[in-house]
Amino acid sequence: MPPAWLTDVFAVLMLAVAAVSAARLVAARPWQQGAVIPDTDIAHLLMGIAMAGMLASSLTTLPNAGWEVIFALLTVWFAYRVARDARASGVRALAGGHCAPHLAHSAAMLYMFLALTTSGGSGMSGMGGSAGMAMPTLAYPTLAFIFALILIGYAAWDLDQLPGFRHSLATEAALPGQLAVAVAAVGAGQAPVDRVVPASAGPRAAGFMLSGEITVGCRIVMGVTMALMLFLMI
Amino acid sequence: MTNVAVVGNRTAWRERLGAGTLAPRRVPDVRRALQLALGAVWLLDGVLQYQGAFYVKGFSDMLGGTAAGNPGWIASPITWDANLVQHNLALLNTVFATIQLLLGLGITFRPTVKAALAASVAWSLGVWWFGEGLGGVLSGGASPLNGAPGAVIIYALIAVLLWPADRAPSSPFAAGRAVGPPVARVLWAVLWLSLAYFALTPANRAPQGVNGMIAGMNSGQPGWLAALMRGAASLTAGQGLAASVVLAVALVAIAVGVYLPAPVAKATLVLAIVVSAVIWVFAQAFGGILAGGATDPNSGPLLALLALCYWPLRAASAAPRQADANLATEGTVA
Repeated sequence: MPPAWLTDVFAVLMLAVAAVSAARLVAARPWQQGAVIPDTDIAHLLMGIAMAGMLASSLTTLPNAGWEVIFALLTVWFAYRVARDARASGVRALAGGHCAPHLAHSAAMLYMFLALTTSGGSGMSGMGGSAGMAMPTLAYPTLAFIFALILIGYAAWDLDQLPGFRHSLATEAALPGQLAVAVAAVGAGQAPVDRVVPASAGPRAAGFMLSGEITVGCRIVMGVTMALMLFLMI
Repeated sequence: MTNVAVVGNRTAWRERLGAGTLAPRRVPDVRRALQLALGAVWLLDGVLQYQGAFYVKGFSDMLGGTAAGNPGWIASPITWDANLVQHNLALLNTVFATIQLLLGLGITFRPTVKAALAASVAWSLGVWWFGEGLGGVLSGGASPLNGAPGAVIIYALIAVLLWPADRAPSSPFAAGRAVGPPVARVLWAVLWLSLAYFALTPANRAPQGVNGMIAGMNSGQPGWLAALMRGAASLTAGQGLAASVVLAVALVAIAVGVYLPAPVAKATLVLAIVVSAVIWVFAQAFGGILAGGATDPNSGPLLALLALCYWPLRAASAAPRQADANLATEGTVA
């Protein structure tokens, strides 16, 4: 069992991802007519909260059964999205699409809650601790291994899509007084990460918050942490 | 992307994208794809290193154990390192894991690829010595089945071969672009011939040599994998010499394959991938990951990745593409 402080660090990281996702949802101004709320941010928000609770028992919120329902719904939702993409773009939807990683994340979360073998009835006991404490484990560890490989693969793929420092700086310099707002397009499949869509209104901070790099960054952090959790529970 | 659209007082699902408008991602060229695979393996290593098994004394014992059989000047630093780790276990293991994670992130992030590849070579050499005891090369315990000449040294080799430079842009395979095809072929041949040599050492060709190695990895594996390994163990029981000779012949064929015409070279590369996969599954049990407590996936996937670095390229993709040129430029930022 890894030390509790280590899993606490990752739990805080997950809460940070959840907070960023919540901020993106607020920045999207859902109360305004015609506003759009990316489903990817909803997924990240829920996953961040759930994973923080798995990593640190003090952060547990819902009972496992509740999370199972939530992630089953998310899995079905993103499976539907990937199927639609696949009909339009073929197998490219799996490698080049942006819903496929979210499907993998949702399915991995669902698997973790379903395959959990722990003495705790309503929630998890947390993954960190000292010697002698019971560590939650997963049934069907082969599946955990496969999920972890897929998550790491998508994280690597996502990282490769992020623009370079020079490119980001150049983009900012080229848009004086304007916002570089990607409006969640990257994380959700509307535009490549490095093709930032200029917008003419809105505060600069909101533009940054809604940029595609933030979505992809959250997805990378989430994918790597999820893989870590899978290996911790093998 | 599907969004929740808030229209007036009601919420409705709507789709902003029509069918067929899936955004194109930046498609990496062959060398970049191989770099991504290497980065992914480093990410995997980093994540594995955070496991609880490395926050107990057994980890420092494992490090110290690699000193056995090595010459004094090799063994002493290993013992010193193992003692250091034992007294600062949580801190140092977290540092080790984080370094590997950062290497993976660095290689997969284009602007930092050069710095991360260079750092990975240095880190690999350090781990090869202090963590793997030079892979048992000098202690007599090396075998292709247990990861000789040390899985981590293969990381370094691949990092050198995939360095984002174009000394030979028209190289017939990705591994030759940075160092040139002749050097790349020599490195390949040396590695696989050394594996053939290790396969035939007395300990490995002993009647129960192969059998013992497979049986030794069986503990703690899931049922289906344990059954496969039991089958492999019984198949090689008392057949150490025959198994070693067959393996050595295959390894020699793989070693010389890159010097042969492209169709034959492809066949030997397929053989290399098959041999790597067989070793990874039956002898290395996926590096022991499924049993918990593995620091890396062992040499199987690295050997397969290395083979892909030598896969003959079509003429069109052999030349460096603009994307890779950009990569080289961005790499200088870091």
